[in-house]
Amino acid sequence: MPKLRRMPLVVLLLTMALLLAACGTQTPAAPPAVSDAPPAEAEAPASPPQTPNGMTITLAENPWTGSSVNVYVAKILLEEQLGYTVEVVTVDENIQWSALASGDLSATLEIWPSGHADNVQQYIVEQQLVEDLGPLGVIGKIGWYLPTYMVEQHPELATYEGFRDPELAALFSTAETGVAGQFLGGDPSWVQYDEDIIANLGLNLQVVQSGSEQAVMAALDAAYSRNAPLLFYFWTPHSVHAKYDLTEVQLPPYTDTCYDQADTGGIACDYPEDVLFKAAWAGLQAQAPSAYALLSNMRYSNEDQISMIAAVELENLEPEDAARAWVEANEATWRTWLPTN
Amino acid sequence: MTTRSQPLPFEQPSFQLFLQALMWVGVALGIGVLAVAWPAVPRAFPEAWNLGLRAPIDEFQRWVIANRATHPVFVFGFTPLSRGIDQALRLSEQMLLRPSWYVLLLIFGLFGYLAGGVRLSLFCAGSLLLAGLFGLWVPTMQTLALMLATLVLAILIGVPLGMAAAASNRLDRVLRPVLDAMQTIPAFVYLVPVLLFFGVARVPAVIATLIYALPPIIRLTNLGIRQSNQAAVEAAQAFGATRWQILRGVQLPLALPSILMGVNQTIMMALSMVVIAAMIGAGGLGREVLVALQRLNVGRALEAGLVIVCIAMLLDRLSAALTRIDFAAPVTTQRKDFLAHWPASALAARLPHDLAYYFQTYGRFINALLLCVVVVLVDVLVWGLGSFPSDWRWSLREPANFAVTWARDNLYFITGPLSDGIIYYLLNPSRDLLLNHLPWPAIILAIAAIAYASGGLRLALGTAAGLVMIGLLGMWAPAMETLSQVILMVLMTVLIAVPIGVVASQSPRFSAALRPILDILQTIPAFVYLVPVIMLFNIGRVPGLIAAVLYALPPGIRLTQLGIEMVPKVTVEAAESFGSSRLQTMIKVQIPQALPSIMLAINQIIIMVLAMVIIAGLVGGAGLGIEAVRGLARNETGRGIEAGLSIMILAIILDRITQAWARSKT
Repeated sequence: MPKLRRMPLVVLLLTMALLLAACGTQTPAAPPAVSDAPPAEAEAPASPPQTPNGMTITLAENPWTGSSVNVYVAKILLEEQLGYTVEVVTVDENIQWSALASGDLSATLEIWPSGHADNVQQYIVEQQLVEDLGPLGVIGKIGWYLPTYMVEQHPELATYEGFRDPELAALFSTAETGVAGQFLGGDPSWVQYDEDIIANLGLNLQVVQSGSEQAVMAALDAAYSRNAPLLFYFWTPHSVHAKYDLTEVQLPPYTDTCYDQADTGGIACDYPEDVLFKAAWAGLQAQAPSAYALLSNMRYSNEDQISMIAAVELENLEPEDAARAWVEANEATWRTWLPTN
Repeated sequence: MTTRSQPLPFEQPSFQLFLQALMWVGVALGIGVLAVAWPAVPRAFPEAWNLGLRAPIDEFQRWVIANRATHPVFVFGFTPLSRGIDQALRLSEQMLLRPSWYVLLLIFGLFGYLAGGVRLSLFCAGSLLLAGLFGLWVPTMQTLALMLATLVLAILIGVPLGMAAAASNRLDRVLRPVLDAMQTIPAFVYLVPVLLFFGVARVPAVIATLIYALPPIIRLTNLGIRQSNQAAVEAAQAFGATRWQILRGVQLPLALPSILMGVNQTIMMALSMVVIAAMIGAGGLGREVLVALQRLNVGRALEAGLVIVCIAMLLDRLSAALTRIDFAAPVTTQRKDFLAHWPASALAARLPHDLAYYFQTYGRFINALLLCVVVVLVDVLVWGLGSFPSDWRWSLREPANFAVTWARDNLYFITGPLSDGIIYYLLNPSRDLLLNHLPWPAIILAIAAIAYASGGLRLALGTAAGLVMIGLLGMWAPAMETLSQVILMVLMTVLIAVPIGVVASQSPRFSAALRPILDILQTIPAFVYLVPVIMLFNIGRVPGLIAAVLYALPPGIRLTQLGIEMVPKVTVEAAESFGSSRLQTMIKVQIPQALPSIMLAINQIIIMVLAMVIIAGLVGGAGLGIEAVRGLARNETGRGIEAGLSIMILAIILDRITQAWARSKT
């Protein structure tokens, strides 16, 4: 009678599980909080909803430092000034959109318009399920970059015209590109007009898709260590600028007329400036008005963000600690974000 | 081949051989004519034939997004479902995080001891200790909770489905292609759709993991029940047992080892999704890997990767030990240790006989359970230490980062030219052949001919249809780019794996030393070692090739080794008694005898290599990988699904061809 014999085992295991569960939930909430180590960086397992102030605010943390410090600044203020419970979810920047549309995420705090033109069009403009919360205050810029030592050796490379010269361009050639110079493309989610720019300006370059930001950074680190040539798509602000001395290649300046030809492949000018902005689930204002007000008002400068990024990347602080240091030092700034009533 | 009762003239071997030769000449001629004398045939698949799947899929996605909050399917179906799963997940996370760290160390150690003995016990406790020392206690518990919840769901869904498939041939036939698709479509493709239906963070991560990890448990349950002893079933029937009674009382117990093997496979596959699950907010160790690489901190990523390896090995060994355990072994055969005595045995002595039986048989379990309860009570009432102490640290970051920098600065003079050589002499020619020299009908004809040779007409027709389908999906050029890489990845893996497997089969010591390396290669997320690989081999197609080879090596080596070790001793001894040297025995006896197993190894290598196509896309590999990544990155689910389906078709075609080939050699 094998099944009969196994019954007690099943019962035993079940009781064991239940006991553990009971002990788990009965433990007073104090131990984890008081214990000498607040759990390193990972979000504390918050118990679901129900705060006196209504809903739990779920903030999207995208996997880069700038996004982390924004989120933790907002988390500290929402929790300590307004009494919300905030849950931080680390999620890919492209994947966050459908979760914002459904309200599974309450807000995201650093969107680069260049990377999300399609998403903005679909979610904010057409379907109106996500709401633009206004600029973060940080200004970004995409461009073509190369290590400064390349410009020192060949000053012509400071502008795009240097890459018309086949010999100079050939400095950047690799096995993947043969005779043409290699232009390393960016993260595939970002808007990239590099093939058009190269063709329209008659440059001797060929685009190689990098596949991810990490891959570009690894390639840059390797090239820099060898003083090797590398031309790539990158942007500022980003922590790599603190680590490597990079120069942006001058392209013909951005104009609106130039970008009007985007659909026909006619772009032959620089990328526009990116005004980084915040976005929220369209239902946030009704559900959590003061959180909505604070997140809309939140705005600081490139310097503010860079100071926190530097603390994280160079001094190895956790993003939450860097954000707390900033909050303690800049009360005048965040006081203006708090809802007025 | 099959045996025939009366050989007809056209079935005679010599005549068949002649026909085959004729066919091959015809195929070669056909390809030649298409390639040379008919330059008008386009190299690329005609764009006008595109099925245009993209638009309707994207349209459907928009509809879901717009109606997610209001449509009854979501309000009453998916939303409460995901709420429920979310609650269960949070509960299991808290169960692991609330008790003090030493409690978990003890419980896992105890569990390891019960399942496998002292060594396993030390390994289980040691893995958790390592996670704590790396400062990864909380993320480890999150990942563990996610894995356990996934496993419970996989068993709840997989075992009944497998049983149903075993009972019904029709269901089995329907299920088979679905399972194939679940295993071969890259997870990247369905991350967004899963998110649409199940929200963000834990639940979609579990669902995406389930989609990938569920097939083995269904397949192996099905297989186990189908292979259960026919005589036992008939005996039960003869005693008038109902079908349900037979299933529960006879077939399921007999199939238990197979089911547990399925559980084991499911665990391993689920753990390979940890990093991808972190992209949709699962947190845990996968998030640690992603964040570390975002800062190019290989050492930190390596620590998280090693903990993932430890968790994988821990769950693997525990579940493998479960397959060997005899739950109801007679008391006399049980180990006599500290768990075997008081209090269960003392109780057993005082109880009536039928109850005492249980306390004797399960005495060790009961004692272990009591011990757990005591430890938990001590933790709650007396000695709560909380989370792992933050000043107990042991770090690999410094040495690992130093090693990466050293390699970057000192090895490039070898790896750089090597990488260029691979591109110039291997990758470029094979891509040119498929993309520029051969027109598409010639490629389809050639692959179909290979399929015919290994599996016959049906396989050839299926192959051709599949390839045409890739063209119709509009993915011909990226698919050929990917195919040109996959062929090289497979060849290189086979060239490395087979010799290593042969050596390992000859030397137990080498094999033992190899085992942990293979375990690590199989379970460490490829992301962890890709950064140094890019630094050494330049961005482009080569890093993806290396990642694929490293990932596919373990099953290749293991299956080769297994095949050679399974060659009967008698055969080997016979060869040796005829005076053949060790090398001769190997080449003339053991390798030919192990050929079916080696074929199976090649088959596995192909599947593993195709699983890495997406990763290759993430480091500059182009082809279908980058198409799938773009589908996710640019909010073009339709494009991602087209690329994913193409990867699936390629995988299934290559799988069926090699499987048929392996069968024809047995």
